[in-house]
Amino acid sequence: MHGAGAGSQEVQMAARILLIDTKPSRSHHLEEALSAAGFQVLATVDEQDDLYARMTELAPDAVIVDADLPSRDTLEHLAQLGRRFPKPIVMLSEDEDAETSLEAARAGVSAYVVDTLAPATVRSLVNVAISHFQAHSQLRTEISRIQQSLEQRKAIDRAKCLLMERQGIGEEAAYGRLRKMAMDRRLSLYELACELLE
Amino acid sequence: MATEQANPDANGPLETRELRLGIIPLTDCAPLVVARELGFFAEQGLDVTLSREASWANIRDKVQLGALDGAQMLGPMPLAGSLGVAGPRKPMVTAFNLSLNGNAITVSRRLHERMCRRDPRAMAQRPVTAEALRQIIETDRLAGAPPLTFAMVFPVSNHNYQLRYWLASAGIDPDRDVRIIVIPPQFVASNLECGRIDGFCVGEPWNSYAVSRGIGCSLITSYEIWNNGPEKVFAVTEEWAARHPATHRAVLLALLRACRWLDEPDNRRTAARLLARPEYVGVPESVLTPTLVGRFRDGLDNTVRYLPDFMVFSRYGANFPWRSHGLWFGLQMMRWGQIGDYSELEGAVQRTYRPDIYRDAAEAAGLSVPEKDWKTEGLHAQEWLLKAARYPIRMATDRFFDGRAYDPADPHRYLGGFRIGRRPRRAGG
Repeated sequence: MHGAGAGSQEVQMAARILLIDTKPSRSHHLEEALSAAGFQVLATVDEQDDLYARMTELAPDAVIVDADLPSRDTLEHLAQLGRRFPKPIVMLSEDEDAETSLEAARAGVSAYVVDTLAPATVRSLVNVAISHFQAHSQLRTEISRIQQSLEQRKAIDRAKCLLMERQGIGEEAAYGRLRKMAMDRRLSLYELACELLE
Repeated sequence: MATEQANPDANGPLETRELRLGIIPLTDCAPLVVARELGFFAEQGLDVTLSREASWANIRDKVQLGALDGAQMLGPMPLAGSLGVAGPRKPMVTAFNLSLNGNAITVSRRLHERMCRRDPRAMAQRPVTAEALRQIIETDRLAGAPPLTFAMVFPVSNHNYQLRYWLASAGIDPDRDVRIIVIPPQFVASNLECGRIDGFCVGEPWNSYAVSRGIGCSLITSYEIWNNGPEKVFAVTEEWAARHPATHRAVLLALLRACRWLDEPDNRRTAARLLARPEYVGVPESVLTPTLVGRFRDGLDNTVRYLPDFMVFSRYGANFPWRSHGLWFGLQMMRWGQIGDYSELEGAVQRTYRPDIYRDAAEAAGLSVPEKDWKTEGLHAQEWLLKAARYPIRMATDRFFDGRAYDPADPHRYLGGFRIGRRPRRAGG
């Protein structure tokens, strides 16, 4: 197998990756993307796993960890225990990589790599992880936005029914009244609906 | 090299009003939470967002990369950054100590019972020594049993150094006789319960939590290991400090107020209520309150100990960034092989610890400040008055539990006095 993104023509072993993540929907897709990019994903482990045992047993070339997990501090300690354990990627960063480090920190990705891994391979690995973490959080934002707008529509519908019932008017008239009241009071339809329903 | 005179630009307008400061969900993030919630930051014209971070590594990286303006840090972290120990090398600055004391060493009930059976006389002593533990380790070794495992929170932390200090004082070599690992504090109780570890050294509320759940017994507090030793600090990068002298001073003024507010006994319960909120520590008020009001249930018996100085935020000149404290951390790094020699240490301490910036802020607040940057530790068994100050400052006991004295003027003699530890190379050698 060719070194992922290394631009090297030499045949070499695929870099062996360990993922630490507690969100299966994200880690599943990341595993696929990493494999497609030529990496070998050894396992995805939970933060409650015994990382000392897993790291010794699997001896990964790199670890991708959700930076929102406290277990990063365990990886920091492992990095101190010898060359065979991956080191935090910021430690390798020169000026050109500082931007990547910052982007990774913002995306919530943290990476640990052994120093024998080619810099280009490291960059390709981190870029795949960053784009997946970003895509996942965008998806989450989108889903929560859709959920929110569904909830708002439900509330407005219920407020409309309440007006129809109380004032014995039709659906269109009720909706018209809601809109006028909201405009007069400079509230959104949803805010007014919530008030009426209280 | 940093200048000794505080930057006169500190008197100018704020360089920025909006700040992002990092905290870790622990009881001693209180000064930052209080400064935000009680409006002490706002009073200084600052709009501060507190960013709750999951790990010390995140705190370090985000401050170094500029994603955070500053943060609550473990005492040894800024010096480690300046030296490039256990992380990237980036000159850091601390001009404010946030708290004294607050940690403890807790072991599983099973290990505590073994210790009591093994040496009841040693276990009756207070504070509890590691003597019974040493005997157990000896027996286990002869029987070919695997070594006991202890957890702490980060390679450069008080927790690491306090655990090692206590073990080594009984003749246990922490690198040879036990296994020391890092487990985030919120997970230590469950790891102790399932037997993955035998003990740990962490901060609050996690000792109280383990004891209240009947999982562990706290053998000794960090207060007892070193009376009123420094714990957390507020730190920024040297670059940030140079670019934001007025903002830095404003942050310090807000933190000074917050710390003084926290040391009014009546306010500690309010602090517990604030810290309990999910965006801060996120554990029940009932777990946070006892140690904040100086009540510590150690689980050794059924009593609650009254330790009014279990956690100190302001009194005894607590906020002053003593260079001698920085050097003490550096000497622990030497003792345990994190740095090879002394050559860079004193310079790094001078550059990282900035009492000049503290003095400038504290004097603006009308507070008395120490005249010297260094002090000897371990000589005061009672409260004392620090007279080398604008007006005398009430200071506390500063004993180490093994009775040693630490004179920062003679660091080699101090380090040489410990039987266990890596033999450091002498400066230039």
